[in-house]
Amino acid sequence: MKKWILTLISIVSIAAAVQAQKIYSTKTAIVSFFSHTPTEDIEAFNNQTISKLTDKGLVSFSLLIKGFRFENELMQEHFNGKDYMESDKFPKAEFKGNVTNIATVRFDKNGNFPVVVEGNLTIKGITKKVSAKGTISVNNGKVLAKSVFNIKIKEFGLTGKDIGSIIANDMKITVTSKYD
Amino acid sequence: MKKKILIGILVAIIAGAIGVWYFVFYKPTHFRRSVESEAALTISAKDIVKEFQTNEDSAYAKYNNKAIEVSGIVQQATTDSTGTTILLLSDDPMSNVSCRLKTVENNIQSGANITVKGLFTGFIGDVQLNEAIITKK
Repeated sequence: MKKWILTLISIVSIAAAVQAQKIYSTKTAIVSFFSHTPTEDIEAFNNQTISKLTDKGLVSFSLLIKGFRFENELMQEHFNGKDYMESDKFPKAEFKGNVTNIATVRFDKNGNFPVVVEGNLTIKGITKKVSAKGTISVNNGKVLAKSVFNIKIKEFGLTGKDIGSIIANDMKITVTSKYD
Repeated sequence: MKKKILIGILVAIIAGAIGVWYFVFYKPTHFRRSVESEAALTISAKDIVKEFQTNEDSAYAKYNNKAIEVSGIVQQATTDSTGTTILLLSDDPMSNVSCRLKTVENNIQSGANITVKGLFTGFIGDVQLNEAIITKK
């Protein structure tokens, strides 16, 4: 009986703690990537990224690979094809992590706050730990998060023969998330 | 005779070069798959969301890489520098149809009834369309 009550109390308090987090969300965050080599610059945008950020520092992004738009349609086809993203087999990419210094971000005050985000990035079914620097900007309660970081694309199972020549080994990822 | 063969080879080389230039450099950047000219599957926003929530695999098989024309009520329209994204309501408040338009459209009101035609890109809680146009407003 005592155990029962204790369990009940802990469930209620966990629920309260979860409730107490303020969640900022958007379905129109922008994720882009950029590769520069002497032969070719490659860039694509996904403007339909789903993101959530809580004032306790939890942060997530998820997007559809086919939602990336290239200027060059042939590049877009290769990108979705079997040597690169295999988007029919792996339609989604995802990041889940934490803002490690969330205590320094004041959501009730206007300003730009430098942050460090750590978490797990899943691309093509392969999950890797990543760490990125960014900023959270607060303007009259509106929250904007930005980050630029690099990933090594071969670590995520991309095997295309042009990686390392026409396509850079390091892909620069830019995230801009304006929360509703 | 020799001259004719030489001219023939020359013509073949030039035609080949033009062909390579056209298919490798010109066509990919100047012609895109365009939803305007494609036949689309027609469905309402709430029905397509329901299909994905009931059976994601069979819904994927039905819609993958297809053009779709979806009608529904606008929940929200968000514009950035390259285009507008419209969220259409379904019966489930957590699940929308997210339509990324090719162009910036400034006069889309929340609550309006709208029909959007676009390319299906997948399901991620929301059904997403890309390269879309408004067909009825």
